[in-house]
Amino acid sequence: MSKVVEISPTTRHEGHSKLVLKINDQGIVERGDWLSITPVRGVEKLAIGKTMDQVPKIASRVCGICPIAHTLAGIEAMEASIKCEIPQDAKLLRVILHAANRLHSIALHNILILPDFYLPGTDTKINPFAKVEPVRSVAARIIRLREIGQTIGEIAGGEAVHPSNPRVGGMYRNVTERARMKMYDLAKEGRQLATDQMEFMIAILRNFQKRDYCVVGNAKVPMPKDLGYHNQGYMAVDPMYGTNSLAEHPTWQPERWAESRPWDWYMGEMEIDFEDPSYPIGGTTKKGTKANPQMEACTGVPTYDGQPVEVGPRARLVKFKGYDEKGTVGQHIARQLEYVDCVYAILKSLDALNPSGKVLADPIPQGDGSMGWAANEAPRGTDVHLARVKDGRVQWYEMLVPTTWNFPTCSRALTGAPWQLAEIVVRGYDPCVSCATHMIVVDDDNRIVAQKLIQ
Amino acid sequence: MGTELGKYKVCVSARSTDKEIMWKAQDGGIVTSLFAFALEHGIIDGAIVAGPGARPWQPRPFIATTREELLSARGTKYNISPQVSWLKEATRSFGLDKVGIVGTPCQMQAVRKAQLYPVGMRDVPDKVALAIGIFCMENFPYKSIQMIVEDHAGTKLQATKKMEIGKGKFTVITERGKSIALPLKITHKYEQPGCHVCLDYVANLGDISTGSVGSPDGWSTVFIRTKKGEETWNKAIAAGCFETKPIEQVKPGLDLVSKLANEKISKNKKTVEERATFGVNKALRNPYL
Repeated sequence: MSKVVEISPTTRHEGHSKLVLKINDQGIVERGDWLSITPVRGVEKLAIGKTMDQVPKIASRVCGICPIAHTLAGIEAMEASIKCEIPQDAKLLRVILHAANRLHSIALHNILILPDFYLPGTDTKINPFAKVEPVRSVAARIIRLREIGQTIGEIAGGEAVHPSNPRVGGMYRNVTERARMKMYDLAKEGRQLATDQMEFMIAILRNFQKRDYCVVGNAKVPMPKDLGYHNQGYMAVDPMYGTNSLAEHPTWQPERWAESRPWDWYMGEMEIDFEDPSYPIGGTTKKGTKANPQMEACTGVPTYDGQPVEVGPRARLVKFKGYDEKGTVGQHIARQLEYVDCVYAILKSLDALNPSGKVLADPIPQGDGSMGWAANEAPRGTDVHLARVKDGRVQWYEMLVPTTWNFPTCSRALTGAPWQLAEIVVRGYDPCVSCATHMIVVDDDNRIVAQKLIQ
Repeated sequence: MGTELGKYKVCVSARSTDKEIMWKAQDGGIVTSLFAFALEHGIIDGAIVAGPGARPWQPRPFIATTREELLSARGTKYNISPQVSWLKEATRSFGLDKVGIVGTPCQMQAVRKAQLYPVGMRDVPDKVALAIGIFCMENFPYKSIQMIVEDHAGTKLQATKKMEIGKGKFTVITERGKSIALPLKITHKYEQPGCHVCLDYVANLGDISTGSVGSPDGWSTVFIRTKKGEETWNKAIAAGCFETKPIEQVKPGLDLVSKLANEKISKNKKTVEERATFGVNKALRNPYL
C-alpha cells in the first residue's frame, strides 16, 4: 500500500520548494510532486505601463542567482518588440556577460551538490567547507572560478549581480582595451581551472554512479541505475546564448507553448502517513500533516508540444552536441562539460570585440505594440521573455523561466527513485525556484479565481 | 582646537622637480607629480582627475591612464567636479585594479564612506589605491565662476590663464598678463551653500592631502596621513620627484593652515547650529552627528 512522505523545505538550492512523494512499501517513489512554495513576485503585473528601459531592470530583481539572464532576455524581448537591431560589439559584450554568469553559476552549484557525493574509494561524503585535502583546494578552485566569472561580468556588464550596462538598444558603454585584456587574462586563468574542476567533478560523479548504495540519514539506500530518468523530451534554443523573434531562423516557437494550471497537474489533498525523523536535516514532515500540492504550488505548468520538457545544460547538449546520457548523473556531467564552453565563448567574443566600436543602436524605435520574444539560455535552461511595447511603454509582459519548465519534468523523473534520493534528483536541475513563480490569484476559500493564461 | 589638521604622520613643504608639470601647475605640482610617479611605478593603474570640460574652466572628471592625460588636468579649476561619480566605473569598463583619486575634503569623505559601506559600490573598496585630498575652504558652481570672472573681474573666461585664491583675494590672471584681485567678501555670496556645513579644511581623510596654504609661492604644504600615503610619498622622494623643506622652516607655516582651518570650522559650525532650528519643525540634520 502506498504511503505519503513530504520533504519540506528542500535544501541546497535557490528558493523555497518541497517534495510530496507517494511511495510503495520498498520506499520507491510511485508518484512525486516537486513544487514551488516561494511567494509570487508579480513582476509581469508590475511591468505594465512602465517604460521599456525600466522593465528588464525590474525583471532582473526577480532573483539574485540568474539576474543576468533575466536582464538580457527582458531587454532582448523589448528589442524584438520594437524591432531594434543592436551593434555587433554590444552583442559580444552581452555574450561575454552571459557566459561569465554561467561560469560562476556552475561553480556555485558545485558547492551545493558536493555534499551528496563521496570521495572516490571511501565512504566519506564530501564537505566542501572541510579544511582537509583534496577538498580544500577544490573549494579554493571553485571560489576562484566564481570570482573570475563575477569579475568578468562586472567589467562587461557593470555589475556582477544586477548588471547595469545592458540597455534597450545595446549597452551603455564599451570597455577599454585594458579592461578587454583584463578579461582575457582572467578567462585564460579560468580555462585551466575550469578544465581541472570539470575533470574532478566528472570523477566524483562517475564514482557515485558506480556505488551500490548511498547513506541518507540512518538509511542505507540502494542506488538505482536509472536515477532521475524521464521521457519528457528537451528544449533548448542555442548552445550558448539565445535567440529572439527577429532572428532569421528562430529556434523557439511561441505557438508550441501552452500553460496549464497546477490544479490540473499536481496531486490533490492528502495526509502524510510516513515520516523519517533521521532524514537530514531535522527529519521529514510529521505524520498526520495535510499536504495539498494542487493549491500550494506557486507555478503554472508550461508545456511545449503538449508535454512538460527539460531545459538546462543537458537539453542544450542533447539538442546541439549529440549528448545522450540520461538521469541525474548525466545531467550533472552535462553541466560540468559546459564549464569550458563558457570560457571559450568568453575568449572568442573578446577576440572579436572592438573596444572602440559603437555599442548603442541609433535610432531606437519606440514600438508599435507588436509581440516580441527573446529566449536566453540561462545557466538553468531556456529563459523566455515575451513583451509588447508601444510608444516606449510595456503593454504586456510574460516571463517563462527555466525552473518553471523543469518543475513538472523533474516531478516525472522522481518516479522509480528511492524517496531518500529525491532531493538528489531535484538538485540535478540546479533549481532556482523564486523566479519560477507566476501570477495566480487565490480567493478567501483558497480557490484559484484567476490565473494569467496564454493570450 | 588642536584637531583642525586631522591626523598625520609627517607634514612638509614640497614642490615637484618636474619642469613640465610645474610649467602649468597651480602651486607645487604635488598631485600631478605624485600620480605620474604612482602610475609609472604601478602603484595605481589610473587616476580620476579633473580635466578640461565642455566649457572654459569647467572641470570634467575623467580617468587618466597615461602621463599625457594627467598633464591635461594640471591646475585648479574652482568649480564643481564630481570625481566620485567615476569611482565605480573605473573598476568596471575601465578594468582598473588600483585607482587613484583626487578630490576635495567632502569627496574624500565620500570615498571613505564608499569603502566603509559599499552600498552600490561592490568590489570597489579594495581598489582605491591612493586618495589625494586638496585643501578647500569652499567651492563654486560653474555659474558663479562665470559671474566672478566675467562680471566682477571683467575678463573673458576663455582669456583667463589662471585663478588663485590666497591672501584674502580671488585673483584672476589673464593670458595677456593682467592680474585682477577681488576681495573674498565679493565672492562669498557665490559660494555653494552646501559648503557651509563642512568642517574639514585639510582633507582629513585623504592618504595624502595638499594645498598652497602654509607654504611660500610655488610650493605646497603636504600632509602624509596614512601608511599607504607614506609608502608612496617615501618612494617618490627617493626617486627625486619632489624637493622638500621642513614645514617649520617655511613662512607662513602651519600656523596659517591652523588659523584658516579653525576659521572654516568655527564659521561653518554656526551654520550647522543655525540649520538645527531651520524650517517648520523640520530641523536639518547635523551631518557630523
